[in-house]
Formats: sequence, C-alpha cells, structure tokens
Amino acid sequence: MTKTSAQSRTPQALIAAGIALLLAGSFWGLFKAPGEIFMGDVQRIMYVHVPTAWNAMLALTFAFVCAVAFLLTNAWKWDNRLEAAMEMGVVLSLLLCMQGAIWAKPTWGVWWDWDPRLTTTAVMVFAFGGILALRNAVDDPVKRAVWSSVACIVAFADVPIVYFSVKWWNSLHQAQSTPESVSKAFHWPLRINALGILFLWTGLVALRARVAALRLRSEIAPPLPERPRAAADAPAPGGAS
Amino acid sequence: MSGVVQGGWGFVAAAYLVTAAVLGGYATSVFLRWRSERSRAATEAGRDTTT
Repeated sequence: MTKTSAQSRTPQALIAAGIALLLAGSFWGLFKAPGEIFMGDVQRIMYVHVPTAWNAMLALTFAFVCAVAFLLTNAWKWDNRLEAAMEMGVVLSLLLCMQGAIWAKPTWGVWWDWDPRLTTTAVMVFAFGGILALRNAVDDPVKRAVWSSVACIVAFADVPIVYFSVKWWNSLHQAQSTPESVSKAFHWPLRINALGILFLWTGLVALRARVAALRLRSEIAPPLPERPRAAADAPAPGGAS
Repeated sequence: MSGVVQGGWGFVAAAYLVTAAVLGGYATSVFLRWRSERSRAATEAGRDTTT
C-alpha cells in the first residue's frame, strides 16, 4: 500500500535532518572554527546570521514562485504553499533582524541603524507580514488566494533590493558573503548551517502547507445535510410550544 | 588597544539562543497546528459518515 502525500513523513525527516545539521554546524562554528582577526569571537554570529539571510530570501522567492504558479494554474496546492512559505519567510526575516541587532551592538555600537540594508529588510518583513495579516482578514478563499498572490508578487520586488542594497548604496552593512570574501576556515560551518536551515524550512513549509490544505478543505466543504423537515419542525421533547 | 573586539561571548550566546528559541518555537507551533487540524479533519470525517 502506498502512502498519500498527506501521510508521508518526508517533512518530519527533513526537519530532523535540518536540526542535526544545525547542531553540527553550530558546534563547529562555536568551538572548532578560529575567531576573526578584527571581530574576534563575535564573528561566530555569522554562522547563524548569514545562513538565516540566505534562507529567508530563498523562502520568500519560493513564495513568489507559488504566487505566480497559483495565478497561472488556479491550483489550491500553490495557495497552501504560498501561505506556508510566506509565514516561514517572515519568521526567518524577523530572526535575521534579531541576530543582526545582536551582532551590530558590539561591532557598530548600536542595535539598529537606518542603513539601506537594514531599512529594506524591515520593509520586507512588514510587507510580507502585512500580506499574512490580509489573508487572515479575508473569509472568501478565492479572493484571499488571488489578492495574496498579487500582493506577494508586488512585495517580492523588495527582495532583490535587499540583496543588492549593499552594492547600490553606501551601506554600513558589509557586502554579501561569498566564497571569495569569506576565509576558507569559515566555509564549512557556514555551509552546514545553511543546509541545516534549508532542510528545516522546507520540512516546516511542507507541514505548514498541509495545515493550510486541511483548513481550506473544511472551509470549502459542502455543509452537512439538513435534518428532515418533519424532524426539524417537531417540538423538542418537554419544550414549551 | 589592539583594534580587535574583545570578549563578546555574551552576544554570541544570545544570538544562538534567540535562533534556537525562534526556530524551535515556530517548529512547535507548526506541529501543534498540524496535529490539531488532523484531529479536526478526522472528527469531521467521522461525523460525515454517521449522518
């Protein structure tokens, strides 16, 4: 007997693999990798901050793909995935801002600065967070799916701006981390954590999409058949007429 | 002064704890919602077959 997609345990396996990789990568980054020449041990925040940034953008890019796919196909599975991916993207972006603030304090001297990278990231969080709020406020599943798909496509315009902001404008934030700009000693913990967060969010998005699918099924399910007319009109036993 | 940020383990610990708390909290919320929706769907399916 084959398992249906709703019964498959692939998401749980992805989540477990993600957690294992994150633990291994974090251990390596915290205790095995050398400190950085200027930032010392504070630079170890990079092993969670940079993979979070990559994966936040990846999750929101997947949300954009789902939005386009829904508008092209009208298949509900894309709307379920859109809801899941946007929620995951907002969680990762919020986490990104928190990690960045913790790293900024000892290196920049402030928790937050309205620099182009940070400002565009804040816009990204509020834009996608607003779309999730919009989804909760709309009862009609069709309107909700179409509006949030269109809104997601519009909001996605900010994602490449976040990525290129450090190149386009004079930013306090450092440029993108690439294999050329990061020492070889830092590569492995960075890659392992990036893969760990990738596995974790893909598993969580798959599971969250199932939640959205079950809710949608109960929303669009036909109402229960009415009781026979005679039975419905009969006075309740012992009730006053 | 050496020009190197001194100490900072408190900030490192805070960043990793926040990461664990946010990802762990969100994963827990997804699992709880999945379990609750699944049991609701099973209840509704059972009610449909009895009517």
